Amino acid sequence: MSLFEICQFIQDSKIGTDIRESIWVFPIIETVHVLGVAISVGLIMFLDLKLTGLGMRRIPAAHLMHRLKPWYMLGFGLMMISGALLFWSEAAKLYESFTFRMKVLFLVLAGLNALIFEILYTPRIASFETQGTPGGATVVGWCSLGFWAAVIGFGRWTAYGLS
Amino acid sequence: MDLLTVFTWFDKSWLGELIRNSTWAFAAIEVVHLFGLTVLLGTVTVVNLRLAGFGLRQQSAAEVAHDAMPWTYVGIVVTMASGFLLFVSEALKCYDSPPFFLKMGLLALSLMVTFAIQRRMANGSVEFSLVVGRLLATLTIALWFGVGLAGRAIAFF
Repeated sequence: MSLFEICQFIQDSKIGTDIRESIWVFPIIETVHVLGVAISVGLIMFLDLKLTGLGMRRIPAAHLMHRLKPWYMLGFGLMMISGALLFWSEAAKLYESFTFRMKVLFLVLAGLNALIFEILYTPRIASFETQGTPGGATVVGWCSLGFWAAVIGFGRWTAYGLS
Repeated sequence: MDLLTVFTWFDKSWLGELIRNSTWAFAAIEVVHLFGLTVLLGTVTVVNLRLAGFGLRQQSAAEVAHDAMPWTYVGIVVTMASGFLLFVSEALKCYDSPPFFLKMGLLALSLMVTFAIQRRMANGSVEFSLVVGRLLATLTIALWFGVGLAGRAIAFF
């Protein structure tokens, strides 16, 4: 079974069809998706602003990372669950969409970027206040801002179907 | 001059025509609208979490509100400028859409509540008790979610 056939199977399932053909459910899930994105990316942005030196001067990076983590994870949860339901309803269409593939690519890049930060910099994030933000962490901050902007941009473009 | 005249003027303006007749403009402006929305909801969330006693608790409410303030402005300016362009390109459609007026009403209310609270937090002139803080934070977040839902509904009514 090819990946496309799997996507077609998912899209044709009862739940997929019900979501797609509903008047209310699809746009409500879509709204939850956008709000989930805005909250998770909006909160991660504060750490990125700190790392890049663009803002949040008085708040240590360690606090922005650890204190906000449960909340941006909550936003992530909303985003991923609502995103999975939207995908369910149009999996085959999305499989063929160039913009959706780009969105997934940048989502993976954003994830790898976060993983790099987690491995290299999270263990010594408390020292950023006294020793300054390492150059590498600043790069991670800029990449995060860029990758998430691309995810949002390609995501919106996907919804327009302007493949 | 009634509202319909104003909306018609926007709808027929060269700017409205330009955006409407372009293949990419509307979608591109909406992407910018989403960027602004992300920044705005991010700052509203950070500030209101602190107000409700969650999130950045090691800082004072004044510090959080103060550091977040420039980004609240950035979010609002980007969202409203792009939102205005979207409106101009379909002003007559908006005129016939009850959710559009609901969204504008909720938006005005959200802006007033957000700024009234965040400015007082930032200059430290008011200390909210935890109960009042939680009520205000819930109200603010609910108002902004209402703006989002009403905005989405414009496409349907």
